[in-house]
Amino acid sequence: MSSCLNFYNCSTSLRWLNKFLFTSAPLLEKERREEKEKLRIRFPSAMSGEEEENAAELKIGDEFLKAKCLMNCEVSLILEHKYEQLQQVSEDPMNQVSQVFEKSLQYVKRFSRYKNPDAVRQVREILSRHQLTEFELCVLGNLCPETAEEAVAMVPSLKTKGRAHSDEAIEKMLNDLSLVKRFE
Amino acid sequence: MFCLSEMEDTVRVPPDLLKLPLEVAIKKVLQKLLLNKVLSIGLCVTIYDIKSAEGGFVLPGDGPATYKVRFRIVVFRPFVGEVIAARFKESDSNGLRLTLGFFEDIYVPAPLIPRPNRCEPDPYNRSQMRWVWIFEEQEYIIDHSCQINFRVENISYPPVPTEQAEDAKPFAPMVITGTIDDDGLGPVSWWEGCSERNNEDDDT
Repeated sequence: MSSCLNFYNCSTSLRWLNKFLFTSAPLLEKERREEKEKLRIRFPSAMSGEEEENAAELKIGDEFLKAKCLMNCEVSLILEHKYEQLQQVSEDPMNQVSQVFEKSLQYVKRFSRYKNPDAVRQVREILSRHQLTEFELCVLGNLCPETAEEAVAMVPSLKTKGRAHSDEAIEKMLNDLSLVKRFE
Repeated sequence: MFCLSEMEDTVRVPPDLLKLPLEVAIKKVLQKLLLNKVLSIGLCVTIYDIKSAEGGFVLPGDGPATYKVRFRIVVFRPFVGEVIAARFKESDSNGLRLTLGFFEDIYVPAPLIPRPNRCEPDPYNRSQMRWVWIFEEQEYIIDHSCQINFRVENISYPPVPTEQAEDAKPFAPMVITGTIDDDGLGPVSWWEGCSERNNEDDDT
């Protein structure tokens, strides 16, 4: 499967840096590449002088904080719609779609909790009321934790300093989500 | 997870596609160019829509019409620290390999499997090794019976190799390293007993 993936260079401003636990001095480019070959365990608390992407602390490139993240259920609706469009055009759409499209459709259909478009819209609406970033909204929508403790374990940035998410607020949000599921 | 990303690019529409409606022709060219490819923003899954296309000039000495196109694509873009649901693919003495179906280069190395654990030859599959977590004298096997949740620890983009040995593994432009050594991670059956949702799934 991975043999059909090719690398395509696209210019963006994202920097992919790996800073390892025990070094603090900036490494030369070549040494950095060599270090990448060895396996190192990265801990979210290892702060470095340079920018580091880490969702646990919500240190993600600016573009992605503003970018539209999609939950699995939303992607499921998009891909199904595309598939139906293809069905209208030809009799055997499976032949025309790429393997990645087909497998992604299978994945999101299996791992999306909400199937109905109205339910999906309601979920996004409920989660948007709680001052979450796009990323946090989508992780909660994808994994549907049942308790506030689970939610904080999956999205630790909910409880970082300065954010006003009390356990009750989180529990209320999760309750609203489970109501949507029940009445879907 | 999946993101909707807006991009702008110069697209050359070859003459044989010019008889189709413009949007269809541009989509075809973009699909051929971007689908299944790992861009620096992620793995491109599908073209979402085309917002605008300008130009359409034919440059001297060149057949295709050149358009400047703004479009949006759906990309699979994992974040470090994100918890993702995957399925078991295979395991060996170095660790586990998980798959999402459309993306299969997810590795959980041995140090990131909860301890104490042991690795033993799989009785059902002689060429593979099987990992077992031992907790409070109970043994928990890691296999394909359940969905496995893992947290992304690292994403690496190995450079394209200039030459490859014939029996080398196919080149993977994006490799995710994950961990299952934390509360709520690993096979979901460890935490709640396989739910109905998993029971009615067929194995693909």
